[in-house]
Amino acid sequence: MEKACIDINELINVFSNNEGAVYQSDKLNCFYVDFGGKFARYNCLSLQKLKKVVEEIDIEALLLNTQRADFELVTFNGCEHIYLLSALEIISLKDLLQGTFTMFKLNHMVNDCLFRLVY
Amino acid sequence: MKDLMRIKCLISQDIETLLNQQIKKEAHSSSLYLSMASWCNQNGYDFSADYFTKQSEEERAHQLKLFKYVLDMGGNAISPEVTGIKSDFAGFREVFEDALEAEIAITQSFKNLASRCLKEQDFVTMEFLNWFLKEQREEEYKARRALELFEVIGEEGTGRWEIDKHVNDISYSED
Repeated sequence: MEKACIDINELINVFSNNEGAVYQSDKLNCFYVDFGGKFARYNCLSLQKLKKVVEEIDIEALLLNTQRADFELVTFNGCEHIYLLSALEIISLKDLLQGTFTMFKLNHMVNDCLFRLVY
Repeated sequence: MKDLMRIKCLISQDIETLLNQQIKKEAHSSSLYLSMASWCNQNGYDFSADYFTKQSEEERAHQLKLFKYVLDMGGNAISPEVTGIKSDFAGFREVFEDALEAEIAITQSFKNLASRCLKEQDFVTMEFLNWFLKEQREEEYKARRALELFEVIGEEGTGRWEIDKHVNDISYSED
């Protein structure tokens, strides 16, 4: 529903993999995570929290535990979104977010160099 | 593309993580010193107990200074969980040996943090850390000097009583 309200052309693709993508809106100073059939909006802090929550999931323990299904609810306090993800999807989301934050680092390096030269 | 993370926060994620680890280490040191103060008090070394209580307060102040910096720069400062504080010591000398060991570990940790700042060219945090690096000179000096008292005075006879009496006289001056 949210996707319909956003001009996709204004969004910058930060990183994408086979399962999803993360976009940045320079106009609204926020991010959009397109994953698991959701197009969810995050600010800087909540995207960092999402990454932390996903990275803390012990996938090995999830797969080895025969007492429960290998699905995990992914959310955190104050988050409007909940993901119900399988182990494979968690790996994909982890990959997506790690790629995204690597791109942030790269972008920061470029910006850092450029701003030092310009100002 | 705008650098949104930079707009929100002056320090990088890596530096923020290291600063939070440092906050935890300072909290651990503060608790350890308090534990040493308790041991000294119970064993009749009241002056040393006062010395360690003061040291504990100093470490707590360092922790809060780091905590405030992380928040002021737009980062997420984490209130640390402190566990595994040693509460029993084999003797009076061991307390001071552990104190020096703790200070050396803190200095090493600051060196690691400073090295990361230089690598990232985070001169703002580096400038902030200079105060702590300078402080570590004093902290290590005091801990080392306290241990020297054991050599100079000796533990025999009323030696430990003398050492306890002089611990609070230890001060550091750059001049």
